[in-house]
Amino acid sequence: MAKDRGQGDDYTGPLKRLLLGVVLLCLLGLFLVWRIDSPRVERFRAQVVDRVVPSFDWAMAPVTGAVNILRDFQSYQRMYHQNQELRRELQQMKAWKEAALQLEQENARLLDLNNVQLDPRLTFVTGVVMADSGSPFRQSVLINVGARDGIMDGWAAMDGLGLVGRISGVGRNTARVILLTDTSSRVPVTIQPSGQQALLIGDNSAAPPVDFIENPDQVRPGDRILTSGDGGVFPAGLLVGQLAEDPGGRMRLRIAADYERLEFLRVLRSYGHEDLTDPGQLIAPVQLPQEAAPEGAQAVEAGNG
Amino acid sequence: MADRFIHRYWLMRALYLLICIFLIFMHLLPLDTRPSNWTGPDLVLALTFAWVLRRPEYVPVLLIAVVALGMDLLFQRPPGLWAACVVMGAETLRNRAPMLRDLSFFAEWASVASTMVLITLAYRVVLSVLMVDQAPLGLSLMQLLFTLMVYPVVAVASHTLMGVRRASPRDLDANGRRI
Repeated sequence: MAKDRGQGDDYTGPLKRLLLGVVLLCLLGLFLVWRIDSPRVERFRAQVVDRVVPSFDWAMAPVTGAVNILRDFQSYQRMYHQNQELRRELQQMKAWKEAALQLEQENARLLDLNNVQLDPRLTFVTGVVMADSGSPFRQSVLINVGARDGIMDGWAAMDGLGLVGRISGVGRNTARVILLTDTSSRVPVTIQPSGQQALLIGDNSAAPPVDFIENPDQVRPGDRILTSGDGGVFPAGLLVGQLAEDPGGRMRLRIAADYERLEFLRVLRSYGHEDLTDPGQLIAPVQLPQEAAPEGAQAVEAGNG
Repeated sequence: MADRFIHRYWLMRALYLLICIFLIFMHLLPLDTRPSNWTGPDLVLALTFAWVLRRPEYVPVLLIAVVALGMDLLFQRPPGLWAACVVMGAETLRNRAPMLRDLSFFAEWASVASTMVLITLAYRVVLSVLMVDQAPLGLSLMQLLFTLMVYPVVAVASHTLMGVRRASPRDLDANGRRI
């Protein structure tokens, strides 16, 4: 009896099964197409996100704002304490500022003396974070600047303090920033002051590990980590964070950017550096000595004539 | 009579869609962008299964597929695969619903649990066979567990708040016949 009902006893049964088959085929087909030719499907995804998320924006901004106000309200309780702490830090900062100004002047003088050509300063576009990835498995945020503002895939995104991630997926009005903590994020970095090259590998934890250090003996916790610009992934010399050692003895990154509150992100315009594709000419004098002499004579003659 | 009934189930379909959009919206709020080492339940999955077992006509295949695919696209998951898993799970339960109608809630819960475990397993196996990056195992197990734990709550809430009850012998279907 129950089985009969399970089979579906009216004429719409086969039709429903056909519909189910078609739906499943479409979904699995989409997945396979994504696996084979993912850029095309990802572009489609970017378009969908571009269409959907801005329509949430009118509600998203106030709700996020309200929750943040509530959180701020909680922090009022320890306001006095915090104030004291800030004053102390401010004094230290003033000392540092003085030192930095002096160093900057000195640096400018030295550069002038040596006539050094530096890279042009990077310009940036600033965007507001609209939404995060929505699942605990992916670490990315959506910002409200996109192809309309000239954003391109692969550009670096920073907040005021340090590197946040890179652009991956650009819609017309939105762009997705894959954070450094995402499992698919790999960034070549330099560890200063020793200058060791390493790779920063996102692993879905708050402090991503720094791996493939050339010589692990030469680095120690507290060293500064900058992007190295290897592979043309990012411009060189962007601050990423500090090195730290976890209890297991593994080197990890303490991220400089404030991941707790990502609100405004600046996307650095970098059109890549010029490539040297030509192997160059043979390294030799342009003219050989014995040919040079007659030519010199001709020149003298011409001068005389 | 039949008119009223049709209205009601279009209304409930719209309600399902609204709840799903609301849940997606809550997920997308950029409140904390630090990676967390715990995760909440997949409420959309629990809701879908609870409704499919109670009132299959409120959640047609196409609606489930569209919602699940939309989540795949918005949440940066491989598009289509999880949606296909959810649709398959929901259809399995839909076929089982008439049998489960006469049994206790625990039988229903066990049935839902086995379906969820199976689709999660299938999802992970397919991803690893095709060598796609996937979420840490611990996190997905945690999500599975939380979803199972929250399932009775979702079922009770849809029963009492939204009136999604099992069809009783007194109810009529869309054509005015007995179900």
